Amino acid sequence: MTVLSQPDVQSGEAALRPPAPRRTRGIRPGSRIAYVYVLPFFLVFAAFSIYPWVATAWVSLHDTRLSTYDQSSWIGLANYRNLFTNDFFWNAFRNTITIGIISTVPQLCMALGIAHLLNYRLRGRTFFRVAILMPYATSLAAATVIFAELFDPNLGLINWGLHVVHLPTVDWQGSRWPSQIAVSAIVTWRWTGYNALIYLAGMQAIDTDLYEAAAMDGAGRWAQFRHVTLPGLRPTILFTIVVSTIGAAQLFGEPLLYHNGLPDGGTQNQYQTLGLLMYQQGWTNDRLGLASATAWTMFLIIVVAVCANLWIARRRGRREGRRASIVAAVPEVTVR
Amino acid sequence: MKRRASSSGSGTANGGVLEAGWVTYVVILLVTLVSVFPLYYTIVMASHTNAEMAASRPPILPNMSVVDNVKKALELAPLNRGLINSVIVAGSLALGTVALSTLAGFAFAKLRFRGSNILLAICVATMMVPLQMGVIPLYMLMARLGLAGHLTAVILPGLCTAFGVFFMRQYVASAVPDELIEAAYMDGARPIRVFWSVVVPAVRPAMAVLGMLTFLMAWNDFFWPIIVLSSQNPTVQVSFQSLATGYAPQQSIVMAGTLYGTVPVLIVFAVLGRQIVGGIMQGAVKG
Amino acid sequence: MPRSSTRRHVAALSAVAAIGAFALAGCGNSSSDTSAVSADAGPCGTNDDTTLTVGLFGTFGFKEAGLWDAYKKVCPNITIKEDVVEQSADYWTRLKTRLASGSGLDDVQAIEIGFVADVVQNHADQFVNWNTVPNAAADKAEFYPWKWQLASTSDGKTTVGLGTDIGPEAICYRSDLLKQAGLPSDPTTLAQKWDTWDHFIDFGKQYESSSTKPSGSHFVDSAASVFSTAVYQGQEAYDNSDGQPDVENSDGVKNAWAFASQAAQDGITAGLQQFTPAWNKAFSSGAFAALACPTWMMGYIQGQAGDAYAGKWDVAPVLPGGATNWGGSWLGVPEKAAHKAAAIALVEWLSAKDQQVTMWKDGGHFPSNSQAAADPAVANAKSDYFSNAPVGKIFGDISSQMKIPPIGLYDTQIQQALTTQLTNVETKHTSPDDAFSAALDAIKQVTG
Repeated sequence: MTVLSQPDVQSGEAALRPPAPRRTRGIRPGSRIAYVYVLPFFLVFAAFSIYPWVATAWVSLHDTRLSTYDQSSWIGLANYRNLFTNDFFWNAFRNTITIGIISTVPQLCMALGIAHLLNYRLRGRTFFRVAILMPYATSLAAATVIFAELFDPNLGLINWGLHVVHLPTVDWQGSRWPSQIAVSAIVTWRWTGYNALIYLAGMQAIDTDLYEAAAMDGAGRWAQFRHVTLPGLRPTILFTIVVSTIGAAQLFGEPLLYHNGLPDGGTQNQYQTLGLLMYQQGWTNDRLGLASATAWTMFLIIVVAVCANLWIARRRGRREGRRASIVAAVPEVTVR
Repeated sequence: MKRRASSSGSGTANGGVLEAGWVTYVVILLVTLVSVFPLYYTIVMASHTNAEMAASRPPILPNMSVVDNVKKALELAPLNRGLINSVIVAGSLALGTVALSTLAGFAFAKLRFRGSNILLAICVATMMVPLQMGVIPLYMLMARLGLAGHLTAVILPGLCTAFGVFFMRQYVASAVPDELIEAAYMDGARPIRVFWSVVVPAVRPAMAVLGMLTFLMAWNDFFWPIIVLSSQNPTVQVSFQSLATGYAPQQSIVMAGTLYGTVPVLIVFAVLGRQIVGGIMQGAVKG
Repeated sequence: MPRSSTRRHVAALSAVAAIGAFALAGCGNSSSDTSAVSADAGPCGTNDDTTLTVGLFGTFGFKEAGLWDAYKKVCPNITIKEDVVEQSADYWTRLKTRLASGSGLDDVQAIEIGFVADVVQNHADQFVNWNTVPNAAADKAEFYPWKWQLASTSDGKTTVGLGTDIGPEAICYRSDLLKQAGLPSDPTTLAQKWDTWDHFIDFGKQYESSSTKPSGSHFVDSAASVFSTAVYQGQEAYDNSDGQPDVENSDGVKNAWAFASQAAQDGITAGLQQFTPAWNKAFSSGAFAALACPTWMMGYIQGQAGDAYAGKWDVAPVLPGGATNWGGSWLGVPEKAAHKAAAIALVEWLSAKDQQVTMWKDGGHFPSNSQAAADPAVANAKSDYFSNAPVGKIFGDISSQMKIPPIGLYDTQIQQALTTQLTNVETKHTSPDDAFSAALDAIKQVTG
């Protein structure tokens, strides 16, 4: 977790640039009152998040099944060895990456665009802002039923449309890429509005004066978006990338329901993700030890993925001469 | 007032700077349609029998039998009890999460204290752990505390979303300028007062967003509640379990129940949606 | 109420301390741990006002058949509340969690055939043993012996539940589609033509080659339905006689796989996965003409196809390859149930002849109580929806000849793995051998 820790970032950045005009943090250094602010959170957190987390690690070192929970025996790292030599694991690993990319990249780009549009002076903006969150409010089960109808290889609307324009129809359930695209479409549909709203909240923190100044300098809409909105949103964008990466790595609800609640991710596991594999191991196959090992392996994978994101963001940030770290990020809005 | 000294950190009362053109309206309208379609189709499915839905030309319009189906759903399942419980659970979670996260997020963003980096790192790291596996130890913990079956058992573990702390930390960092806080301290304000009258007003939109997202997440959460609750004291998602009885559940009734269970969400939308816009207008930081 | 028993105990103890033991006896409906007073508490297990919770998954229908209201007349002091989870898999996960923690259990818990072996092997000591209840001998005499045995340990000394229903199988078919294809459609003729799986598949090929059958229609719904029926016709299905998984050496699996992959490769199956929306729609769309049909499937078909298809469906009094069973459940009482004696009384009442007859008449659940199965109300039953077929006689005959192979811990998952791969043989033209070895890989993930 070193990337997330503060001193590293600040020293790296201090070497790079002259002292910042504003300090990020450090109001009242050493203020003990801070502990009072974080204490309530961490009390609940320790009891109900850390404890199950540590318990999961413990279980991953045993051959636990729920039916024989109290008779589990210690097997060391055998569950982990099992995983790394397991075709199902590597298949799910590949699927998680491909579905993660297909579902996250367009999703965040669209969310950014939609948030930008919603930030305009707009009649009925409350309605629109709330309406884009509808997918998140619709029960996942209802949504998947409907998407399964749309993507039905025989009777679905999408294949009907392809047929009408004389294109070959597609097996959206059975074939690897089409099924992954269909699952990604559900994910994208569900989470785009959510991210747009987070972006919108971030955009509203950007000073209006900057837009006015930019407009006076003759910047058009696109130029304003690039030079005012994007830099101002940097911490928020980083935040959504991190959260979406985590979400993509843990994805399981959509592919589960896309196969009518079967956790195999298609008859050839063509869209089984790691989250779904873990679900199958733990709940369908009753192998909690193995599933817990998968959980912890996923954790390590996500740490690597998030660190990679941050590293890329920091390199870009350096090239552009501004800081970009998840922890230190504060927008320094500049207008050219 | 001095704390209005800064001019940064706020949007405008109208929620934006640029006037929207017709292209914007077209795009937004399309996005809205796509977003709302499944809810609409839920209504359609709630008003037609399986056989009608299976017809070669499936229906695209709802009709009044949706009302009958909602009534049938209410007879089959304790939906109203579920709704009340869900309002309690999701409401407490939204309020609690916003409060805890804003406090902690402010501390992480603006206060310097020993161990803050490690604490934040731990917090973000746990977001990366799939906690489904934690359900078993968590249930045993709840059983030992005598909370299994109680709504408290659903509320407590949900209160500590690392997501919320992280989200508020990011937002506070960018939306509350340090000068504003310094100025308040110079006025002799105590930390809690600074938090209450400087930070909270500035981050209201983010609080509303976080509250809304938390509410929705809690509302649709299914996996943990069904383990820990029973159908005598259900959340709304758990109460749906009683809808599909017999080997051939009528999808229309299940959908009608789902629909009925979505209504409070729409109400929350109406209320908090206004907050998201209105929060900006009152932005005390605007100079 | 199990969910607050700890607090109740604390409250009760302080009440005793403060007011004396007399007060405790007075508050009948709040404290009611009746296991201690069961012996002389009468036929309802208790004389106190008691609320029993019954943990079920979504396919029982006691309430719908009016049995809770009927019990209120037998035992006015007992109120019954259902604790329902829709999917039996979710229900089983929850039950396992509660058994592992030893808390939160309902007074009565349903046990399905898919996990009864697990309950018997791993949790027998957590359930009331029906061999030691006061009415044990009478209880045991009511059931088909195999039904009693599946819920018992191998030494026969411990039995975890009393049977509710069983699922004797026949073939349900669309007589209108067979007629349209120019094939015989009366049940008696079909019973002769469908006596073996080979003949059944031959008949399917005739259906496929018919020029008058509806386009896009196939003979049988899925290879999976052939497989999951035929597999139980072997000496072994998925497990050996010790209840250990033994897929590779099972005659049932070997034969069933051969028939099912034959059916798939001959193109007589519609390639639908069972219990999916596409399969549900096919009951009315005519995408297939026949399927293996346990008693409970009749209700499913009626629900999915709707009234418009009454009289188009029929039941043939035959199961290719010999009589067998699909599905069925038991009711058990956890040792930690808050109201054990009352729960035992309720389960005995529900398993008795009259109630099982009611469940057949009103719910389509075939009795596991053999006296109920012989009752004229069951034996003479006909189904209007299924062309007035004498379903009582058809399924009664089949259930008296059924062969029941041993069951094991992972039958559900093993069957799922095999039928999933059959779908690949049907729809993706995977070779049966490749599909079988893929299924074995998936099974190994379960058995470890």
